[in-house]
This record gives sequence, structure tokens and C-alpha cells, in this order.
Amino acid sequence: MRPGDGVGAHGTRVGRGGAADRAGGDRVRLGTDLRLAWALSRGSDRREWWRAGLTAAGAALATGCAQTAVTLGALRGGYDVSLGAGLLDQPGTRAGVIVSLLLLLIPVLGFVGQCARIGAVHRDRRLAGLRLAGATPWQVRRIAALETGLACLLGSALATAVAVPVLLGVWTRPNAFAWAGLTVVAAGVPVLGAVAGAVALRRVVASPLGWVRRERRHSRPGPWLLLTAVLFAAVAVAAVARTAQGPRPGGLEGPVIVLGAVVVAGTAAVWLVGATARLTGRLLAARTGDPAVLIAAERLAGDPWAAARTHAAVLLVTVVGTGFVGVRQVMLEVLRGDKYLAENMDYYTTGLDLTAAAIGAALLIVLFALAVGTAESLATRRRGLAAQVAAGVPQRVLGRALLLETALPLAPAVLLAGLGGMAIGTGYTWLTDDGGSRSVPWAALLVPLGVYACCLLAAATSLPLLRRSVRPGELRYA
Amino acid sequence: MSTRHILLGLLASGPSHGYDLKRRHDERFPQARPLAYGQVYTTLQRLVRDGLAEIDGTDADGGPERTLYRATPDGSAELARWAAGIAPPAPFVTNEIFAKVVVAILSGGDPAAYLRAQRAAHMARMRELTAVKTAPGADLATVLSADYALTHLDADLRWMTTTAARLTHLTAEVDAA
Amino acid sequence: MSKHEDAAVPLLSARGLTKAYGRTPALRGAGIDLRAGEILAVTGPSGSGKSTLLHCLAGIVRPDEGTVSYAGERLAEQPERRLGELRRTDFGVVFQFGQLIPELTVRDNVALPLLLGGLGRAQAGARAAEWLERFGVRGQEELRPGELSGGQAQRVALARALVTGPRVVFADEPTGALDSLASEQVMTALARAARESGAAVLLVTHDAQTAAYADREVRMADGTVTPLEVTA
Repeated sequence: MRPGDGVGAHGTRVGRGGAADRAGGDRVRLGTDLRLAWALSRGSDRREWWRAGLTAAGAALATGCAQTAVTLGALRGGYDVSLGAGLLDQPGTRAGVIVSLLLLLIPVLGFVGQCARIGAVHRDRRLAGLRLAGATPWQVRRIAALETGLACLLGSALATAVAVPVLLGVWTRPNAFAWAGLTVVAAGVPVLGAVAGAVALRRVVASPLGWVRRERRHSRPGPWLLLTAVLFAAVAVAAVARTAQGPRPGGLEGPVIVLGAVVVAGTAAVWLVGATARLTGRLLAARTGDPAVLIAAERLAGDPWAAARTHAAVLLVTVVGTGFVGVRQVMLEVLRGDKYLAENMDYYTTGLDLTAAAIGAALLIVLFALAVGTAESLATRRRGLAAQVAAGVPQRVLGRALLLETALPLAPAVLLAGLGGMAIGTGYTWLTDDGGSRSVPWAALLVPLGVYACCLLAAATSLPLLRRSVRPGELRYA
Repeated sequence: MSTRHILLGLLASGPSHGYDLKRRHDERFPQARPLAYGQVYTTLQRLVRDGLAEIDGTDADGGPERTLYRATPDGSAELARWAAGIAPPAPFVTNEIFAKVVVAILSGGDPAAYLRAQRAAHMARMRELTAVKTAPGADLATVLSADYALTHLDADLRWMTTTAARLTHLTAEVDAA
Repeated sequence: MSKHEDAAVPLLSARGLTKAYGRTPALRGAGIDLRAGEILAVTGPSGSGKSTLLHCLAGIVRPDEGTVSYAGERLAEQPERRLGELRRTDFGVVFQFGQLIPELTVRDNVALPLLLGGLGRAQAGARAAEWLERFGVRGQEELRPGELSGGQAQRVALARALVTGPRVVFADEPTGALDSLASEQVMTALARAARESGAAVLLVTHDAQTAAYADREVRMADGTVTPLEVTA
């Protein structure tokens, strides 16, 4: 970062000293920004700490997943790995594990994105205040980037601190590729976090009044999302292709197809969720006579993209989960029918169990993000909600509206995702059909139902918060 | 408050006689003290003496004969000068409420009780004015004059509220000492 | 609206109210009477307990001690459900701001209390439009509250408070955020609508010009209502 880089007229005005100041100014300014960032975080309420803590946790998860994937990617040929019941020994199965880990990154990133929303209104107001007080756009960006970046650094450091001993314990002499990968990931996560923190601020930075005047916002996924999805798909495919240079290249077509389908489905899911939210919102808002439905529907129609990231992750988990249950049933049938297995049964079931665990973990992360998102949406409008209750709107109605905000857009989307997952499972049934009649994996249909129920439960965890938020005490502070 | 200039202003719309001027004055300044006819008459004579107005003729109009007056060019110029000149912003504080509070403090009376009673009277008057202002069909002059009076009464009230608070404060300090 | 009410019996009355937030006392034995159909202004310096008194009278807050009775019903003895129902049907509430749901259209905001009362969407919408027209909000039914000026938003809030035909309207600094002309429009609309529908109004304000729309004024200081009660 050069001094005055992109700062323009404001920068020179703030850095009064001119050229003399410029030389050592950047280091001084960074120190000032750090102190400011620290002072602001320390003086702010608990929500800020929640955000920092959860962001760090998310960063730690992301670092862990990425580092494991990179290390596995560094392995060439056959090895005897003490973990994973021999699943990591062969390049082919290792590729599958890598893909699962990369897929697990999606909900983790979604979770980090959700964390960024905690206290966002408050934070934006605070930074807009800094702008009003004369901070340059770059300075505000740097402070915000420092806040997020430091939280991510903490998370990535913790994850690396665990990863290195584990690696040394398992792999006696890790190759250079593994070390490089570890370092790049450990450094990359905080940098990415800082960049994301700065980018998220573009509206506030644009005008000092920024979010102080609360405009109705229309956040929608831009080309960035598409680009990310494409990049992600490319990386995954490349990783698979690289590790697949083993003895059985042909056996990998299936996983690659599945992976591609999942990435496409994930990208489509974001749009699908936004679109269903908008559509259900509009349709219901125009017709319903139920106040709770009306409130939920208007909120959805007003900002259909608000929860799109989290909901898209829900859909992805549903697709993968439903598909997996189908594939698992078929595979077990095949394995049981097979007389001459290359490895013992554990080899295969461990793979399946690991995948199930990964999907379960993804579901948990997604549900947590959903709960955080719901709580955040409540916290930011607690004064308005208190006013509604004071005006006689029953808490019951507001609580139902809160649940409906999750339930309405997810119902059609999860149904569709479930059907998609069924298609994958059934497709796999046909692919592997070697004459013997295989049953359609109907049990997989329980997955979308279960996911839907879990989502409602996650949203419902905010109901006690609603009860606390609508205290009349909230009315006392205008 | 200059009756000369107000009459000159009323004459600006055309020649008029004394009674008509009084009637129009009371209409335009509804919340002001009504003009006495004698005052209108003497003021008009002074305007003529100073060359600011002149007699335009007489108007019988079926009733008794009445003298019509009109403004001279000098009169119009004088009106324009007066209308554009600023009023000195409160050069002296001479207000009965202020004086009574100070006297009450000096003589060891009960200024707080006086302020409460005065507040009640002010509020009663403000309610009257608000009713006048918001009555359906109230004309602009009525609304403007009511606004003016309300704002001034409000200013009095604010001063009285602050003073009452200061007195409580002062008493508390004296008691504490 | 006067069925068999004796004018001498207040519609809403409170005695000996005390309420503390933590260790800060907001009310210390406040008492007040509101008669049917009258507009009563409660004035006083900030922190004198005006808003807390309003909250207690409207059943939003339960006082620590003392009684509030509305039309012979003791609010302290009522469950939360009944208090909510009272606020929905018999009371209307207007705050300085924040009582409109930002995501709902102006029309839906006004229709909301009717919908909560079980009225159909079309009927509720029509009634809401009528009330909006009475408050001079026309052609803006489809806008969101954020797109209105402060004065317009407060008139929409008034329409929402009055749409159920309440017997008492509680207004807490309804003109607090408005300039004098917008205040005048809001207060004229409130006073007129209250008189036409026979609703009583409890008007909390620190502004004398706003208080002048009332029939009567009581003053608060240090959590009590001062004995001064000058009737017009």
C-alpha cells in the first residue's frame, strides 16, 4: 500500500505534512489505524466481540479444511497413511476426500459471510461516523480490513498450530509442496478476510452519511458469485485431475460428474433462493389476510437476497445429502452383492462414513449460520419490534413472522433441491445397474424433510431472543 | 408599532376613507388591539401635514359625506423605507413577567408559585389561539397572527420553565450550604 | 361514544404509580385521571417520567406499585394476553417514530390492527384507505414508510392508531421529530379525528405549542404529577 494510493485530494488533506511526512508516514498511519481499530472494538458492545469470535472460528475451520486438502493434494502415488482406514492411500480415493473437503469449504465460507453481518448496521454507522469525522475512505477501509483480517489471522494461526503437529505426527517427511501449501493457506485466509472486509464496506465509504440514512437496500449477488463458483469448480476439477494420475483414471468420471453437478447446483441455488423468496413474498403479500404471513412476505419481497447465502448453503447440503443417501444405499447393495472385494469392507464403509460425517458437519455449520442470521435480523430491529408489541401486535404474530421468513422461501427450494438430490441418487442407481434390479433410494427423501425441520428449529432458537428484545425498556431510547 | 405606517400601507391599495381604514385594519390585524376611530383621524391629518398623504376628494355613497385619502409619492417612498428597515432585536428587556419574578425574588416572595399560575394562564391563552387557528375556514391573517402570538407565548413559557428550574436549583444549593 | 358513562367518572385513572428502572426511579406515586373524549396533555422536563406514565397507563409496562383502571377494569390484574388485546382494540398508540413496519406498505401498516382483529384483507385495506384519506395521505398507499416525510409518516401512524376506533389514543411526543408546520398538520389531524370519533387522547409532550391542542394540561416533575390541574 503506497501512501496516497487512491486517496486523492482527501489523503493529502489529512496527511498535512506533505512530502516529508510521506516517507515514514505509511507505517505511522498503519499504527494509528491499528490503535483506532483496537479502540473501536474495545469500546463497542458485546456483538462486536461475537462477530470477531465467530469470524475467527470460521477462519479456523476454513484454514483447517484448506490445509488438509492441500496436504493431501501434495501426496503422489500410493502411501500408507495411518488415518482414514486406507482411504487416503490411493490417489483415486484421496481425490474424493479432497473434493469433499473443498465442498465443505462452501458452508464454512457462507458461515463467515454470515458472521460479517452481525452488528453490521452498528458497525457501518460507526465507520460512517469516522468518515464524518474526517477519515479518508482508504483509512476507513484499512481499519475495517484490519478488524476482519486480525480475526481471521487469529483463526488461521490456531488452525495452523493444530495442523503442523498433526502433519508431522502422520507424515514423517512432508515434501516442499505440502509446506508451501500450508503456508499459503495460513497467510491467504487472513488476507482474503481483510480484502472481503474492505470490499463489504464500499457503500459506507462512498458517502460519510452512508448508512446513517437508512436506505432500502437491494443486495443481490453480482457477477462475483458466478466468478467464484466457476473458479471453485475449476480448482476442484484440476485437483481431481492432478491426483487422478494414478492407476485407475477411468474410475473417477463419476465423482467429477457429481462434483460438477454440485457446483452448478450451488450456483443455481443462490439464484433459486433469491427468486423463490421474491416470488413467494410477492404472491403472498398481495393475497394473504394473515398478519404474520403478510409481515414475513413483505420482508422477503423487500430484500429477497438477505438470507440467500445461508439458504443456498442449505440447498447445497440438501442436494448433496439426498444424493449421498441414495448413492450410499446403492453402493452398499453393490458391495454386499460383490463376492470378490479388493479391500475389506471397512475400506468402503469408512469412506462412506467419512462423507456422511462431512455432510453432517456441513449441515451443522449451515444451521449455525442460519441461527446467527436470524438472531442478527432480530437484534437490528428490536426497537421497532418493541414498538409493535407496545401497539398491541401479539408476540406470537411476530414470532410466527420470524419463522415464516425462513420457512416460506425454503419450502419450495428445499423440495426442488431434494428432487435434484433424488435425481443424482437415482441416476447413480441406473449407472451402476448391471442387470440386477436395483431399488430407487426412497429413504433419501427423508433428507430434505429433515433438513427443513432442522432449519425451522435453527430459526426457532431466536424466539427467546424475540421475547427479550420486545421489552418496553427498548422504547425508552429513541 | 407605527400607526402612521400601517395606515400608509393600507392606503397603498388605493384611496380610502377613515372608517374604511379602521375596518380594514381590524380585519388584517385580528389579534391586535383595535384602532380607535379618533386615532385614525388624527394620524391621517398628520400624514397630510407631513406631505405623505393627501385628500383625494369626498365620497357620499348614499350616507354622510366622507373624506377620501390617498398616499403621495413621498408617502409611498416613506412606506417602502420603513417596511425594508429592520426592527432593533430586543434592545431592552422590559417585560412584566420578568419584572414580577425579579421583584418576587428581591422581596422574598414565592416566584415559583407565581410562575406556575402564570404558566396556567399562558397555556389557557395558547389553547384559545390554537382553537382560533385550527377552526375550519380560518383565514390567512388569523392563522399568521395566531402563529405569531403562539410563538411568543411559547418563548415566554420556555423562559418561565428554565427560570423555575433555576430557582429549584438555587434553593437546593442554598439549602445544601 | 358516551353510552351510560357518567362524565364525573374518569375513563382511565391511575393512583400511586411507582416504577423504577434498575435503581433509577421513573415514577414516584404518580396519579392521573383521563375523562372520556378529552385531550389531556402531560408536560414536563425530560426524565420527569412522562413516557413511563404513558406506558403504565397503556398497559405496556406494569407499574411496581399503584393501580391503573380502565373503564372499571384493573389493568394490574389482567394477564398479558388481555393487555395486548386492549392495546389492539381499545387503545391506539403513536410514538415519536418507529411504530410503522418499514417493510409493509403504508396501506398494510394501517390495515395491520384490523387484520390482527380478524378482518379480511380487502375490507381492512379499504378501511385503511379511508382513514389515510381522512389524514390527508392520498396516492401514497403503496409507498413504504421510509419513502414518506416525517410529517406524512406520523399521519400514517395516527391513521393506524385510530383505525380500530379506540377509546383512548396514547401519543408519546408525536411531533418530537417534526418542524412546526408538520407538527401543526399532525396535531390538527389528531385533535380533529379524536373529537369526531369521541376518543380520549393522552398526549405526552415537552412542547407547549403541541400541548396547546389539548383541553387540559398536567405537569410532571420527578416522577409525580404536580397538583396543578387547571381546567380550561
